[in-house]
Amino acid sequence: MNFPRATGSLALFACLNLAAPPGAHAIVTLGDNVELEGFVNVQNGVRQPNFESADLIMQRNTAQVEGKYYFLKDSTAFGRFDTGRLEEATFTFVGRGVYDSAYDIRESWQDAYSRDGHHPGEIDFKLREAFVDLLLPPLSLRLGRQQVVWGETDNFRALDAINPLDLSWHWTWESWEDIRIPLWMARAVYDVGKLGPFDESFVEAVYIPWDVQHNKIATDPRRPWALHGAGLTENANTVIANGRVLDLDMRVRDGAPSRSFENGQAGARFKAIWGGVEFSLNYFYGYSADTGYRLMPNTSGIFGNTYRADFVTKNPRTQLFGLTANYSDETYTQAVFRMESVYTTGTPVSIAPGAPRSADPDGDQYDEARRMVVMIAADRPTWIHWLNDQRTFFLSSQFFWRHYLDWNPFMRGIPAVSEAELNGTVLPGRFISTNTDRIDENEFVMTFAATTSYGAAGLMQPKFVFAFDPRSTGAYNQIGFDYLVSKHFTVRAQQNFFWRMEGRSIGPWELGDLWGQSNGNSRNETIVSLIYQF
Amino acid sequence: MTVSMTAARAGVLAALLATAGLAAAENSAPDGSYQALRDWIAQAPEALQPGRTYTAADRAALEAYLPRTVWQYYFFDGMEMEVAPTAHYPTPDNWKMDGSGDYRLDEHGILRGFKGGGTPFPQLEESDPQAAVKLIWNLMWRPGEHDYDMPMMTWLRSENGKLDREMEYMSTNATYAIGDRCLVPGYEEVKSKRIMEFRSPRDMAGAKDMQVVYVDHDREDSGWLYMPAQRKPRRTLASERTSELMGMDMIREDLNGFNGKIHENNWTYLGRRKILATVNVKDNPEMGGPHLWVPNKARWEVRDAYVVMIDPKATDHPYSHRILFIDPDSYWTLWMISFDRKDDQLLRFAQHFTKYSESYREETPQQAPYLNQDFTKNLGHHVFLHLGENDINAKKPHATITHCFVKKRVFSEARAQQFYSLRNMISGRR
Repeated sequence: MNFPRATGSLALFACLNLAAPPGAHAIVTLGDNVELEGFVNVQNGVRQPNFESADLIMQRNTAQVEGKYYFLKDSTAFGRFDTGRLEEATFTFVGRGVYDSAYDIRESWQDAYSRDGHHPGEIDFKLREAFVDLLLPPLSLRLGRQQVVWGETDNFRALDAINPLDLSWHWTWESWEDIRIPLWMARAVYDVGKLGPFDESFVEAVYIPWDVQHNKIATDPRRPWALHGAGLTENANTVIANGRVLDLDMRVRDGAPSRSFENGQAGARFKAIWGGVEFSLNYFYGYSADTGYRLMPNTSGIFGNTYRADFVTKNPRTQLFGLTANYSDETYTQAVFRMESVYTTGTPVSIAPGAPRSADPDGDQYDEARRMVVMIAADRPTWIHWLNDQRTFFLSSQFFWRHYLDWNPFMRGIPAVSEAELNGTVLPGRFISTNTDRIDENEFVMTFAATTSYGAAGLMQPKFVFAFDPRSTGAYNQIGFDYLVSKHFTVRAQQNFFWRMEGRSIGPWELGDLWGQSNGNSRNETIVSLIYQF
Repeated sequence: MTVSMTAARAGVLAALLATAGLAAAENSAPDGSYQALRDWIAQAPEALQPGRTYTAADRAALEAYLPRTVWQYYFFDGMEMEVAPTAHYPTPDNWKMDGSGDYRLDEHGILRGFKGGGTPFPQLEESDPQAAVKLIWNLMWRPGEHDYDMPMMTWLRSENGKLDREMEYMSTNATYAIGDRCLVPGYEEVKSKRIMEFRSPRDMAGAKDMQVVYVDHDREDSGWLYMPAQRKPRRTLASERTSELMGMDMIREDLNGFNGKIHENNWTYLGRRKILATVNVKDNPEMGGPHLWVPNKARWEVRDAYVVMIDPKATDHPYSHRILFIDPDSYWTLWMISFDRKDDQLLRFAQHFTKYSESYREETPQQAPYLNQDFTKNLGHHVFLHLGENDINAKKPHATITHCFVKKRVFSEARAQQFYSLRNMISGRR
């Protein structure tokens, strides 16, 4: 039941299309001060478990409208009011409506979800972002619901941890801009400029007064991108204790911090260039976006033929201390090097049932760990003339090392559901949950991405993504292709492969070791999107 | 003795034959060849009558004034070229044109100690072995190069005028090195800064890049790219200059004719050549021809251009030769023509459309489709403003046409410091 590492996971590149051209039409303008733009995306996904069958998992229709209202220009608001030092102000909003018709198209899902009244495919509309930008040099403010991204990593939760993620519908395989959960916050940036040996320096502060949220994960195994471990796509309903078969009555109480002013979050960073090296020092005091599950030993136990397991969710207070740097080496390697290192406290971790007191003093199968992440990366525009003699390939590679500072061998990762057995006999309809996924003290993953464009106007844009966990040998490949058909239409095709080289252990990154299983649950998939943008 | 006399005659004969053969080869060279352009440059054209409009019927007269390399694109039924009298366009009053100052060219042709505010080499001796690089320095420090807001529209067209893409974006830049003082004290190492932001299409809207160019030519530019999808800036590499930019028919090194490094090239000054150019156009020119790739019904002028040949040293550079025609008054690039290293045939060329700031008093060009600006702010600057360019890749074949809608802007020290900052790159349109 414990999924503490899930969103500390790597997610792989929605690749930077730095070499790629745009392909749509102009913004809609209303008068002189209002601009509207947006898109409609019809996204169809088919899963091919072990490439033996095809299964519709997504028919997601998204309409997004983005607007900007320039209500204060040149220290004049609404064309008439002098605002003194307040030079510019704008209001921005991003609204999104979503309807996934797969839940209505698939009869089995219709039946399943109509029974419990929860229908993931319902039309959902959200005002995702709404903020005001104010410019009072040297201070700039952004107030409202927004996303704030720190750090040098691409799609990795190290310093980029201010906004939680919605992983419920397609895990991390979407652009993170679209799956970050925007929060109500104030962001202030004070430009310092030259400061002693530092150039381009500034101080940034972020304050989230009450809006505490955490990562959204689907755990219902019927959901196509639910996180339900490496086992069967079933819910555990049984516990076998001392040779007895017990019904499992698992209750989870929401213990997440409430959205109130007493649960405010805040952070600050200083960023500057020193001798050609751009660096930042970061600090954030918030809540873990990862949810842990703490067993309540006093109310859990055997009651008749039932094992009652009371859990309370935990999103502990967390502190992040980060250092980032980048350097553009123009002379020797013609590459941009990136580095990020983050020390994090308050990471929720599961502890194995029955762990000794030294590892689990409270007997609650829960602990909070300190972690350190180090990332080094290189980006390079590279000529591969035999593949493309017009444009370079943008190559980007990253290497991550994550280390548990207070690791113990009883820390556990993702549980798995299996058939219940008693004395070697399978008990029909009964499933148990076990967790043998031992967390490694040191975890590693590496990524590589390549993009370029073809055609006279660069309208064909392939991309290739690869990620590999050397310990579990789990891997992920994405082969994607965007074709900008016209000024308005883009066709996007993407094939995701999950595979592993060998072994059975599960790593922490949700790659082919978890989702490339050969038991019929592999999540290889084809996604085809038709996008209209304006 | 007889034998040796015969041998000598045979040698002379062979040399003559070889020369004759070479001449024959030159005459039969295809229009798009490097040699054809060199031959055309070497010709001394007869005078062209200004003050009249030329059409396809006047091709014979025009051929002498349009680079041979581009004839196939510029001569078409329905073409019209208004040729205005050649004018002189003075530089700003405070623009130093006396060549004084504590600066010099080093042995590699690199300008040392120059701080802007004037033309580094206003008097050029054609016999000067460094004439070519001196012209390029004049180009790179030309008056009016920066200090404006410049909304732009770019159209990417295939043959027969098929529109592949359309982009809207805005460039804002400022000169920091303005002579005896720096626009923002403390930033004396900076030559100029620029921020360019995309407005459309939607998937690029809000993408912006900041580029810092340094006075020290040996120092590569600094750059950052903010992508809305990433919500953070990303450091970019400046030293890769030969890849096509975003599907456009140009490479970074082609910007403004030449945007590379002096020491990466060999330089040859080819002399002066009278050439037709779209300087001081009335308006952003309408595009014509069978593919809508070239200006039509525009106002042209005969300019006595400086001609510079740039030969990249790198053997993997796509160009064997790049030839620039540079305006003698403004040092703007009028034409840039480059040849494919593989076969010395035309690869890319660009023609720039410029307008003198004081002409805005009599004739105002069109506004950007998405932004109205006060063009009266252009008056009094006495500089050329960039109204656009076409960039044609002859081998694809494909073209990029850009219209610029420039409004001069004078940045205050405080505003420049705030605007051209890394702080401004950490967030964007969304």
